Amino acid sequence: METIPLIGTSIWIIVKIFFLIALVIYLIFALVVIKQVNIMTDTLDLSFEIPVKVLAYLHFLFALGVLVIAFLIL
Amino acid sequence: MPDVFISKKPKKKSSAPTVAEPKVSLKTNGPESIVPPDPSHPDHLEDLKGHTHNPFAAFSFYPHGVSFSEQEPDEKVILLVRRHPITNIPWILLVIVMAFAPLVLSSFPLLDFLPFRFQEVAILGWYLLDLVIFIQGFLTWFFTVNIITTKRVVDVDFENLIYRKITDAEITHIEDATVQMGSVIRTLFDYGDLIIQTAAEIPEVTFDAVPHPDRIGRILSELRMKVE
Repeated sequence: METIPLIGTSIWIIVKIFFLIALVIYLIFALVVIKQVNIMTDTLDLSFEIPVKVLAYLHFLFALGVLVIAFLIL
Repeated sequence: MPDVFISKKPKKKSSAPTVAEPKVSLKTNGPESIVPPDPSHPDHLEDLKGHTHNPFAAFSFYPHGVSFSEQEPDEKVILLVRRHPITNIPWILLVIVMAFAPLVLSSFPLLDFLPFRFQEVAILGWYLLDLVIFIQGFLTWFFTVNIITTKRVVDVDFENLIYRKITDAEITHIEDATVQMGSVIRTLFDYGDLIIQTAAEIPEVTFDAVPHPDRIGRILSELRMKVE
């Protein structure tokens, strides 16, 4: 396993941390999308609110799933 | 050219128009009349050219079940328009290409410098990116709408997943409306920009890449005359 000489840590640990940070930021973004969709559906009633909200929640769940998988297998 | 997402309703054969009843004047005034139909006679709505129940319609005359938060009780939505569906092709193609890219590129050792478990997460991250491009494209198109009501023009700009802007101008403040159709594709699919000059605080309201801009201009003009 490659290690960084100065800090003596595996490079892949550092890469894993970067992956996880990126995915956590993405998860926050997915929450913002849910919030934004809720605001839009409250502002505009276009008779298609439920599928749009489901789409936003599925996106959040997918992001959460990828984060959990990354945490477990990396 | 008809909107690709709007299926045309079969036209019902109407009986001889009766001029005395206002609800029938809807037909005598032509298919784009803004005369509010009698709500107790939904058949009159079905006869209107451009009226649809499709929530994805880019041009919906007297749309079914559409309202907005600032709508007044006596205010009726006359027209709902959004960008022509053809404008979605770039992001749809991008989503499709990105969905198949990992399969196509699997024969190229692009990620071989990473351990296998990192490659798996990278591919999942790629599909996450693909999904967000789809969601961004769809929601931006779906929520960026222009609404004409009996009292005002509302412009809802859902620029991206974080930024949105809602502006409105009263019908009485509208001074001029200009239609811009400047390319072969736009002429072919009958869509363009409608720029509305107003005397309100916001000097201009723009309907971007909307289908049938001439018809929207005519509807707006008729509405202005009626309000004045």
